[in-house]
Amino acid sequence: MLKMSGICCYYGKGQVLHGTTLEVREGELVGLVGRNGVGKTTTLKAVMGMIPARAGSIAFRGEELAGVPAYRVPRRGISYVPQGRHLFPKLTVKENLEIACVAGEIDPAKLEEIYGYFPRVKERLGQKAGTLSGGEQQMVAIGRALIAKPDLVLLDEPTEGLMPLLVQAIAETVQAINRRGTSILLVEQNLKTLKEICHRIYIMEKGAVVYEGTPSEIEAAMDVQERYLSVKV
Amino acid sequence: MASNLAVAVLNGIVWGLIMALIALGLNLIFGLLHIINMAHGALYMLGAVFSWYVIELTGNYWLALCVAPLAVGLIGLALERGLLRTIEDKPLVTIICTFGIMLVLQQLALTYFGGTARRIALPIPGRFPLFDLQYPVMRIVIAAISAAVMVALWLFLNRTRYGLWMRAVVQDREMAVALGIPVHKVYMWTFVLGSVLAAFSGVLAAPIVSVDFMMGREILIMAFIIVIVGGMGNLWGSVITAVVISLIHGVGSIFVVPSTATVFSLGFMILVLLVRPQGLFGE
Ligand SMILES: Nc1ncnc2c1ncn2[C@@H]1O[C@H](COP(=O)(O)OP(=O)(O)O)[C@@H](O)[C@H]1O
Ligand SMILES: [Mg+2]
Repeated sequence: MLKMSGICCYYGKGQVLHGTTLEVREGELVGLVGRNGVGKTTTLKAVMGMIPARAGSIAFRGEELAGVPAYRVPRRGISYVPQGRHLFPKLTVKENLEIACVAGEIDPAKLEEIYGYFPRVKERLGQKAGTLSGGEQQMVAIGRALIAKPDLVLLDEPTEGLMPLLVQAIAETVQAINRRGTSILLVEQNLKTLKEICHRIYIMEKGAVVYEGTPSEIEAAMDVQERYLSVKV
Repeated sequence: MASNLAVAVLNGIVWGLIMALIALGLNLIFGLLHIINMAHGALYMLGAVFSWYVIELTGNYWLALCVAPLAVGLIGLALERGLLRTIEDKPLVTIICTFGIMLVLQQLALTYFGGTARRIALPIPGRFPLFDLQYPVMRIVIAAISAAVMVALWLFLNRTRYGLWMRAVVQDREMAVALGIPVHKVYMWTFVLGSVLAAFSGVLAAPIVSVDFMMGREILIMAFIIVIVGGMGNLWGSVITAVVISLIHGVGSIFVVPSTATVFSLGFMILVLLVRPQGLFGE
């Protein structure tokens, strides 16, 4: 479904992605893990067209995405949940959801699905997004991505800064969303969460993917965990 | 005395509402495009000048009130597409560029419209008694139209899809793009809307002041003062500030000549900025 190969991205003169290659297949939940600053966020931004790729290709359902203006990418069926949520703080929760339906009206069925995952969102509809707690904001951010009825969702550290109990809940919801047919690329710094829910996991290091495997393969490859993620096994 | 005060207060409110429309346009453009639009006053002047031509041709003020802002809106469209788009995100360059646009528009007006000030007859000539004085009905109508436009703008921003996009772009432009909002289109229409508001105020002001190629100069400075005192980016702060400053100026004019009364408005600005550098309603 999404095929990224040899992507190179720069911030000014500094190269951040050195030929990143990864793939998300139809219906998959794929994890992307790596230390802080290795280029995970940049990888997602490259897919969204928010950062131009100077080399390589990004194919989504066989069509090239590189060069498509950023605002047209969501229309192709990809939604983005950015690191740090990035809700519009002065808009209400309802407006934050509405705004993601660029093509038209909110689909009531989709809205019900979101309420199903996050009953809190329904309670907070009229409230300004900036007044919500971190966990609630994350729920709205995920809801905002889903309301556009994407085929693929890019999630950037959705559990960052949340209480352990919420981390678990968000992880389970991400899995539930995937089980209903949406493909997901999930970025996390914490391998443990990914191992529990992902079909496959990529490990990133200095702007490139250095390891690919299923959770059980990673589990077995202790050296990999130690080398790239400083996980003490 | 009572009648003088009543007239001063009414004048202050009428003029304040016109100024509010001008400042709204300026503030809207600043909030979305981060452009300090030095040409805003010239667009206001163009509105008045165009309306003078329309009235010369047709004798119909109300037609001019519709046509002139649209014509200026088209000019705004061309400016945004042709010039400002190419220097996006370079604040200093845009200031110089819009300053240049202002000079060009003023010079064009001088060339074709001429250097002498011209008057526009009150489209509604009636007056009503106010204590022992007579007050023009037209001014009340002008105030009512300004207020109606502001209500319409509020509804547009808060009740329509495009308005929602505009509010979102102000808050987080990058995320707005990532959600599929065509930010460049939003920029373009915001600039057009700001230009239309400036021109519309020009037509509203035309029967009160005289139409003159330099009329945008002072207005621009006042509009900047209002936007800064009200708080950059806070639209409704601009409206309140415009009315307050105009009232101060109007009431001050009872005691000193109007040009000196500007000192009171400036004093008010200095006071506010000393206490709240971010403006009355700024964050
Ligand atoms: N806006 C930016 N300008 C310049 N450098 C940046 C910018 N954003 C990120 N970087 C750099 O790019 C590298 C990768 O960042 P990022 O993709 O955010 O990493 P991650 O999400 O894996 O933590 C880091 O070294 C970071 O310092
Ligand atoms: Mg990151």
